[in-house]
Amino acid sequence: MPLKQDALWYKDTIIYQVHVRTFYDSNGDGIGDFQGLEQKLEYLAELGINAIWLMPFFPSPLRDAGYDIADYRSVNPGYGNLEDFQKFLNSAHERGIRVIIEMVLNHTSDQHPWFQQSRSSRDNPYRDWYVWSETDTRYAGTRIIFLDTEMSNWAWDPVSKAYYWHRFFSHQPDLNYDNAAVREEMWSVMKFWLEAGVDGFRLDAVPYLTEREGTNCENLPETHAILKDFRRRLDAQFPGRMLLAEANQWPADLRPYFADGDEFHMAFHFPLMPRMFMGVKLEDRKPITEILQQTPEIPASCQWCLFLRNHDELTLEMVTDMERDYMYDVYAGNKAMRLNLGIRRRLAPLLDNDRRCIELMNGMLMSLPGTPIIYYGDEIGMGDNVNLGDRDGVRTPMQWSGGWNAGFSSADPESLCAPLILNPIYGYPAINTLSQRQTPHSLFSWMRRMIAVRRSAKVFGYGSIDFLYPANHRILAYVRRFENETVLVVNNLSSAAQAVELDLRAFKGSILIEMFGRNIFPRVGDLPYLLTLGPYQFYWFRLRRI
Amino acid sequence: MREMIVSELTQAVQELARGFARFLPRLIVLVIIAFAGWVIAYLLKILARSILRLIRFDRLSDNAGASQLLAKAALPPSSELVSRFVFWVGWLGFILLGISVLGIFGLQEHIARFFLFLPRLFAAMLIMFLGLLAASFFSRAALLAAVNSNLPSPRFLANSIRGIIIVFALSMVFEELDIAQQTVLVAFGIAFGAIMLGLAIAFGTGGKELAQRFLESRLRHRHEEEKNEDELSPL
Amino acid sequence: MLEEVSTKKSVAALRTDVKISEEGLLTDDFVRQLINVGEVDILVGLPTYNNAKTVGPVVAAIQSGILQWFPRDRAAIINTDAGSRDGTPEMVVGASIDDVRRREFNRLALRTLHSISMQYGSTVARGTALRTVLSAGELLQAKATAIISPDSTNIQSDWLRDLLKPICRDNFDLVLPTYARHKFEGILVTNLLYPMTRALYGLRIREPYASEFAFSSRLGSQFLAQNQWNDDGAGEGSEVRLTLAAITGGLRIGQSFLGAKNHTDRHAADLVPALRQTVGVLFWSMDPNFLLWSSKTGSQPIPTTGAEQEFTHDPRRVNRKRLHEMFRSGVAELASVFQSILSAATLEELQKIAGLAEEDFHYSAELWVRTVYEFAAAHHKAVISRDHIVQALAPLFRGRALTFLMENRNSSADRVEANIESLCLEFERLKPYLLEMWSGKK
Repeated sequence: MPLKQDALWYKDTIIYQVHVRTFYDSNGDGIGDFQGLEQKLEYLAELGINAIWLMPFFPSPLRDAGYDIADYRSVNPGYGNLEDFQKFLNSAHERGIRVIIEMVLNHTSDQHPWFQQSRSSRDNPYRDWYVWSETDTRYAGTRIIFLDTEMSNWAWDPVSKAYYWHRFFSHQPDLNYDNAAVREEMWSVMKFWLEAGVDGFRLDAVPYLTEREGTNCENLPETHAILKDFRRRLDAQFPGRMLLAEANQWPADLRPYFADGDEFHMAFHFPLMPRMFMGVKLEDRKPITEILQQTPEIPASCQWCLFLRNHDELTLEMVTDMERDYMYDVYAGNKAMRLNLGIRRRLAPLLDNDRRCIELMNGMLMSLPGTPIIYYGDEIGMGDNVNLGDRDGVRTPMQWSGGWNAGFSSADPESLCAPLILNPIYGYPAINTLSQRQTPHSLFSWMRRMIAVRRSAKVFGYGSIDFLYPANHRILAYVRRFENETVLVVNNLSSAAQAVELDLRAFKGSILIEMFGRNIFPRVGDLPYLLTLGPYQFYWFRLRRI
Repeated sequence: MREMIVSELTQAVQELARGFARFLPRLIVLVIIAFAGWVIAYLLKILARSILRLIRFDRLSDNAGASQLLAKAALPPSSELVSRFVFWVGWLGFILLGISVLGIFGLQEHIARFFLFLPRLFAAMLIMFLGLLAASFFSRAALLAAVNSNLPSPRFLANSIRGIIIVFALSMVFEELDIAQQTVLVAFGIAFGAIMLGLAIAFGTGGKELAQRFLESRLRHRHEEEKNEDELSPL
Repeated sequence: MLEEVSTKKSVAALRTDVKISEEGLLTDDFVRQLINVGEVDILVGLPTYNNAKTVGPVVAAIQSGILQWFPRDRAAIINTDAGSRDGTPEMVVGASIDDVRRREFNRLALRTLHSISMQYGSTVARGTALRTVLSAGELLQAKATAIISPDSTNIQSDWLRDLLKPICRDNFDLVLPTYARHKFEGILVTNLLYPMTRALYGLRIREPYASEFAFSSRLGSQFLAQNQWNDDGAGEGSEVRLTLAAITGGLRIGQSFLGAKNHTDRHAADLVPALRQTVGVLFWSMDPNFLLWSSKTGSQPIPTTGAEQEFTHDPRRVNRKRLHEMFRSGVAELASVFQSILSAATLEELQKIAGLAEEDFHYSAELWVRTVYEFAAAHHKAVISRDHIVQALAPLFRGRALTFLMENRNSSADRVEANIESLCLEFERLKPYLLEMWSGKK
């Protein structure tokens, strides 16, 4: 199925986030690769997703899962080569699946030749490609992002005998975007991949591109100017491609990244995600509706990206202290699960493997306004390993079967790029794609059906949202509208059955058609519409006036 | 002539003897009935006494104020009195029944009327008793309310209420017993109306100033009371 | 629009939808509101009647208390109203915190806080108000319920913590308040309710009749199940009955010091209704619980957070002459009634002291205790109407109050406390006398 030509394809797509390294190993070296990923495209097509977001696959010392890039124009040899990548990309496109890749603009690995050059001498042409300082007092007051490991945003370089600026790990020096050469080179890098055919970039850590004294060095006007420039060039030379912003900010602070539809096409809605988890634990829609009430309108050509989990910790930066304490207590009682103001766990363990709750969360993910992203393995309910360092516990090999190495690799288990999950609940003998694809009522099968229903209606991607506020606060209900489609979504956030009366007078005369079973429900009249929902149950109703 | 007189005499004596012979069994029946009635009445008396003790009739009577009345009249306690009454009414009933067996013409009608009168007598006694009970209850309630509200002359108020209720009860009793019904009704109406009219005239004209002073003093009293009101609450 | 509709509807329902559903106490609309509230951990009941002048700060303190001390608990406020015409229920309902009403303090609240209201009738019936809260609490499976008076003008948000935390965290079933009171306030409590409850049931409960208290779901369910709601005036004296239910049920009772008591509770100011709600209920409780109280001797303190009692002694206006007059007239006018209630010796003594001038007047502790116990015994035997017995105590209480006022006129707080303690010991000492009167041996 060739790719549809649609300038707004990203608004109505389902993205699957995957790390090549841990997806499928085709050559038995214990590391996933592009050839393996290509072989598994058929699985992804069966699932029903229509875009893949690849985590960084560039050459890297891998001290931050590949986000420390040492060469922007190549492929990590462990994953294959450019040719393998190209083949994979073409195969994906043939299946109607677009490919979005990472582009880490903000920093490089300290092993990158640019940094090696830059630190070698103050006169080196690459000196000014990074942010150097004689002291570590510049830009005081800027928050540290990796609190658990870094004490400062400045690191002393013994080679250069100077400090360099890094917002992330100290081995990830920040590029200096005040230098035009840097900007040109990064555009050149992006162009390289665009010419290869990638459909979009997830631009990592964009708020931190520029620094200015007396500011918090985030979301600066200069940063936006640079990004707008990239967007202008993209639209001119590669129309139909997409830029996705990774900016962990409050909704109001995210809004500028959309500008007037001339900056980013999409941005992650970070603050919503923890509140979805909070909502089901509190059994109260208030955290969810309040953050969405605060979410500003965005241009019609833009879209939010929604997700439940990803390769990082479940970030709790954009919540209050009280909310953070609550989340820690209810979701990360074991302090080993806490990292960098977040919780490093996968979806299923966070929800205590409660299938109903997992379905509800995915249902909200698919029905709230935005493009949903599924983190690899969450479609089968994979578990995590908090004993692995940093965020590696949620980056374990994909579980394909109950056999050798979970079907991930034919290598010796000790040589795998990461240890497998072995416990009886989440281990690969219990959780794997092979058994779930054969089971009609497995989580995978349910996800597949859910995605199919989601894709059957444009309203979820393009539609507006109007919240209903039933008096029962455990019910999150909203109406999605687009052209002549109207869908009512009702979610029970409680672990107990609930009754709710909905004010649907605006839709009087409509018949409700439940979208999964396609059975009809009573017509809307003058009286409040009574629904009863089981624990964590949700409904999607198409409203039709017949 | 002599034979005729003797014959008539003999006949008369024989008639008398026959009459007596006819009357004697009835007399014996009467005696038997009377005796049996005595026994039954006695048993009824014991039964009534037990029932009255069980329902604590004496206490009710105390509450009604009936016990005090009886004590003043040197009469036995209420339950004893009622049980004796039950005995006598019962025995009398049997005696009258026995008398009716004698077949004395004209007496039967009166006996029947007596038996018809009995239920109304009981009803009247019940009305009176309940009336006394109500009078006692409401007069005491009024007394307590008046004392706790610091009204003047609480006992006068309580006794007035008691009197009114007793008069009500009495008039109902007379009506039940069908004794001088019209007289009682009219008398009650006149008395009640007169009292009301009198009070109206007294307060309206003759007692105008008194009424005025009374009201003023009540209001002032109330005002002074309020001025001197405690700042305290009991709870 | 939706917000307005839902608010208007709930307010309109307060006015018109008063008819009780066929099932009984809870109106259909209220049941719908309870469905929306769902299961809660904490419930705060607020019975009202035309309290618009004072209820605002009370509700704000409740809200603040919940947010501060129970931020993670599911909580709800339930207002049971007797038909206010001054907008009281609307003020209480306006305290809801939800995503419809977007306000500043929404950010401080982790959860939705429902505040709902039901009109239970058109006249004040405290028993019905309490029963409504109990029923709602049972339906909502509330683990702990607090009742707050709507005219506690000096309520602090800490009150909720002090009342509810012992229930929630320490497994208490009933937490009663203790207050800082004026030494002359609550004489009925200090001179009768407290000492007599203590003597009867062996527990030193300072405020057996309280306007603020908290109880567990266990006590709430037990109390609700006791079929006493149909006997007299819509459950008069329910507060005392609740305390007694906890005592007789052997449940865990505690006290928490709340601070100054500053109520404008109109009901508590009238002596006869106050007697009915408290002493009447206390006397009534003695019959079914005879085996329990008759076997108790002495008394034990109960766990208390904070001070057990504090007394203030700012100047207060007291009409001693009136008290004396009412005692004297009461003894004189009610002689016939007292003859049915009191022993001849006690009545004679009362008549003797009634003849004393105000400055010489003294209603001794011993005589008072005998009086109360004879009244209790008379109540048990129902020598006359029981309600009349309770009413008849009023003038005698006034006499005792007068003696208490005079004895403690210049006393310090410690002295007052010592006098009360001595009265309590007298109640305990004369308990055998009560038993003799009870059984009719005297």
